[in-house]
Amino acid sequence: MSDHGSHSHGPVTRAGESADDALEHAREAAHGDAGSHGEHGGLGKYLLVFLALCGLTTMSFFTYSAAWPWRDQPQVGWAFMMAVSCTKAMLVILFFMHVWWEANWKYVLTIPAAMMALFLGIMLVPDVGMRNRMVSQERALHMARGSDLRLIEEASAASAASAAH
Amino acid sequence: MTASAASIPHGHDHGHSGHGDDHGHGHVTLQYQPGLPLSRGKLIMWLFLSTEIMFFAALLGSYVVLRFGASVWPKPHHVHLSEPIGAFNTFVLICSSVTVVLALEAARVNKTSLAKLWMVLTFLLGAVFLGVKAYEYVAKFDHGIYPASPRGRLYERPDLYYGSAVRARLDELRREPTSGWSAAKYRWAVWRHGSPQAAALAGWKEPETVDRLKELDEMPESALSAEQQESRRRLQQIQKMLASPDQQAFDMAVVADQVMPLPSEGPGGGAHHGGGHGLNDAFPWLKLPVVIPGGNMWASTYFLLTGFHAVHVIVGLIVFAILLTYRLGAKQAGMIENAGLYWHFVDLVWIFLFPLMYLF
Repeated sequence: MSDHGSHSHGPVTRAGESADDALEHAREAAHGDAGSHGEHGGLGKYLLVFLALCGLTTMSFFTYSAAWPWRDQPQVGWAFMMAVSCTKAMLVILFFMHVWWEANWKYVLTIPAAMMALFLGIMLVPDVGMRNRMVSQERALHMARGSDLRLIEEASAASAASAAH
Repeated sequence: MTASAASIPHGHDHGHSGHGDDHGHGHVTLQYQPGLPLSRGKLIMWLFLSTEIMFFAALLGSYVVLRFGASVWPKPHHVHLSEPIGAFNTFVLICSSVTVVLALEAARVNKTSLAKLWMVLTFLLGAVFLGVKAYEYVAKFDHGIYPASPRGRLYERPDLYYGSAVRARLDELRREPTSGWSAAKYRWAVWRHGSPQAAALAGWKEPETVDRLKELDEMPESALSAEQQESRRRLQQIQKMLASPDQQAFDMAVVADQVMPLPSEGPGGGAHHGGGHGLNDAFPWLKLPVVIPGGNMWASTYFLLTGFHAVHVIVGLIVFAILLTYRLGAKQAGMIENAGLYWHFVDLVWIFLFPLMYLF
């Protein structure tokens, strides 16, 4: 309440500083404990995160290799890849986007956005299940089915067999 | 700075005397306190990014609905996606995220030339990403995979409609104009005069055509490689099948398989079959319609998602190009930070796009 008695007409600032400078001071005060520039990890930490990201990318790429044990159950691979992607996303957000070191304002912005994104995803779930319930006649006529794929595979096998003879 | 209310109205001249609500007298001083302890630029960038999160959540969500609600969805190999190329692009974007962070760190401690070096590297890595993306798009276009019909040659099923499309294309090849320019001029004249007859009366002659299929058939065996001879034999065979009056559904599947086989799954898929064995690969000028079950929906989602992502990359590159015109010292650190936040977000989107598009 130091400015109470003064006759300043603008935003509350110290003499000779703009509003943005004041914000900067406030921000520094908010997490001044971590020191001047050491607060953002430094080269070593970034390299560590980089290596982790590369390792995680290799892990999701691993699902594509022949050594992946669940080739006949794609759902296992999907769940695994999404877990890996979420981990990578968290690493990027926390360290590259500096959210790890930010003050509490980060929750004000990220939580509502994350909730909106999550609800949006959940709201789409019924659509996944019911997408082919109502199909127009024209679409039913031209829509690909699993049988089409099998037909082409059979044709392919037949031509391979005839070529072998 | 310790005031807790966002704004405190004060009647200046009257202090706290009776008519506090009467703003008609004198003027009112509003005392502001920042709502969030961060600079305006960064606040706006975060707000923008939270809208972007929802934008891409909607796109990815729709993709998931279409992908898992579809009765058939093509395997990555069916649509000629290359996982190693996608993984390489992921690596490029991760590297560019690191370089932009290092540019920010260098700028903070006023190492301007180092900051500029990292920024140039970031720009180059972004450009490499776009180049690889363009290469991938061209590979799709070469296989007739477009998001829409005028150029797209995708068919969903090996049915009668597909058969007639292949026949129509073969007919086109039997009278292909020798020069694309004169053909375009003639088409324009027909459009202008309303009909081919009217165009003929106005003195327009039909452009000269050549029978590409007959040319191929008459080519001496010595002019063709063994593989091309084999492909020519297969092409003649499917022409017979298409002309046959008692064709079966299975025949069209054979035609589809001959034109562009669906490569088998797994690494190295398509090496033993497909790959370069389709007629469209043997004779690129054929450009016959192809069958990829679920391919049209795949193409729509692929080009929409990766296209929007590529647009974001382009915007990022423009921002970096503008930043490069500045002296990247401590004064510019805020700007670099905001540009970096955006760039990390672009990276983030790709982190989800890569597995969803290439590995699912």
